[in-house]
Amino acid sequence: MISCRDLTRRFGDFTAVDHLTLEVAGGAICALLGPNGAGKSTTVKMLTGLLPPSSGQATVAGLDVAKNPLEIKRRIGVLPEDLGLFDDLTVEEHLLLTGRIYGLTSHETTSRTEQLLRVLSLADGRNTFAGYCSNGMRKKTAFAMALLPNPQVLFLDEPFESIDPLTSKIMHDLLINVAARGVTVFLTSHILSMAERIANQFIMIRGGKIVWNSSVVELTQPLEDMYFDLVESPSAEDLAWLGSGRS
Amino acid sequence: MARLRAILGALFTAFRRDTKSLGSFASNNFFLMSLLFLQQAGVFVYLIVGLVMFFPLSTDPLRKIPPVRLALWPLSPRERWLLRIASPWLNPLTWILAALAVWAASGKLTVALWAAIAAVFTLGFIAPSLPLAPSKELWRRIPNLPGPLNHLIRKNLRELLSTLDFYAALILSATVLASRVAGQRLPQEALLPITVLVVLALSSYAQSLFGLDGPAALTRYHLLPIRGWQVLAAKDAAFLLAAFVLTLPLAPLPGLAGAFAALAVGHAPSVNQRREQTRWRFSSGASFGNGLGQLVLMAGAAGLVQANPLFLLPVLAGYLGSTWWYGLVIERGRLDS
Repeated sequence: MISCRDLTRRFGDFTAVDHLTLEVAGGAICALLGPNGAGKSTTVKMLTGLLPPSSGQATVAGLDVAKNPLEIKRRIGVLPEDLGLFDDLTVEEHLLLTGRIYGLTSHETTSRTEQLLRVLSLADGRNTFAGYCSNGMRKKTAFAMALLPNPQVLFLDEPFESIDPLTSKIMHDLLINVAARGVTVFLTSHILSMAERIANQFIMIRGGKIVWNSSVVELTQPLEDMYFDLVESPSAEDLAWLGSGRS
Repeated sequence: MARLRAILGALFTAFRRDTKSLGSFASNNFFLMSLLFLQQAGVFVYLIVGLVMFFPLSTDPLRKIPPVRLALWPLSPRERWLLRIASPWLNPLTWILAALAVWAASGKLTVALWAAIAAVFTLGFIAPSLPLAPSKELWRRIPNLPGPLNHLIRKNLRELLSTLDFYAALILSATVLASRVAGQRLPQEALLPITVLVVLALSSYAQSLFGLDGPAALTRYHLLPIRGWQVLAAKDAAFLLAAFVLTLPLAPLPGLAGAFAALAVGHAPSVNQRREQTRWRFSSGASFGNGLGQLVLMAGAAGLVQANPLFLLPVLAGYLGSTWWYGLVIERGRLDS
């Protein structure tokens, strides 16, 4: 469902993503893991057509990302890194806009909007302008926008960050259910425990290159241990001045 | 006192940066073209610009500090009180008001006029702290429009309504409406120039259509499965709606033609040189040449349509061509660069 070969993105002399090659099957939940600046969001941007690659090829839902930008947009749901919200639209208006633009009828749009507002605990803040929403509400609104058109592939850039535990659990269950119905989920996250619970394929990247790509059954040790071994080790440095008397 | 000095210093820097954005009026078409063509006869335009800018200038500098941050700082009640007393003096309008008070005391200015100015200033100063906050509720009540772009157009209308350009045009339009309601007959030949002036007041916004959309909004435009021309059309619909309503008491059809011309010329800088704009400020124009081009085409289009409404068709064709072309430019990702 998602396939890319030698996908590369350079910004001047800096190579953010370096000859990335990967395959994600239909109905899989793939977690792309790595430290800040590893190239996760750049990869998502290239796969969703937000950023043209410097070289390489990507296909999503059977379509070449570079050649079919409009058709790809109709088939995917995206929670982008910056959430892509308009400050001058309310939470509810964002969902109504999405439904109509993706060609749903007015009735379908309203019905799905009501359901998503209720399920994601957004109903009380439905009339709040995005510019005035908390981080969590903004994230949930963008997540609801990704789900509303019922896409074939979901791209979620750090979906669980700044989300309360209950909503995280609801999102987790929703994603498990949609994947079981054949929707492919491609997500990035820093919350390794959540990634381990939800994903059945893990890709770890560092410096724009894949350092690990495996299915869940191939994990020989806890994901966190593997991450610290392969991607980055925690710093052992102590800040001696902390708690050493008055500043 | 060191704490207080540090806070006032930071506040001064933040407030100065904020008020710098008020300088956007200097590159605004309405002010610039009036200065060029009307010169001393344009006093009423400068008065409108001054009046419209008075409210955002009258803000309380202390509001620059987030309330939570202010509450968390380890300041004594005396320091908080001193901060409250000292901070308004970071606003140059406070000094101007004090100078006018000295004038009023020496009889060079009537106390009533000083009191009126002080009242408007005080209103602007305390209004954001009042528990009324009606603007967001009003914003929400912008009527729905038919079609799938409804919410995009409503969003764009809200953006337009949060620029001072709209209110300058509104004052002009409302003045004409009030004089008509009062039974005064405006000479027919005055209607067209005033119509062009109303559209001119809005025209800088047409050069910076994406100026109030942050990077996140641009991401969303690219994710939505719509064509570039549709993104532009949603922007333009809001502009045309505002221009049509504001020119209704004047010459609406020539006004619409002027708005089409302003947009057709404004698409290029809007898409190719996106400039970030600040809310509650005048939109900054792209360049003198583009502003002049807008004025000439607006006046020409409005004049032709005034003479014969059928001229609206070629004006519309020119506008549609520009929308189609710059829609393609948006699809090529030009808006982000």
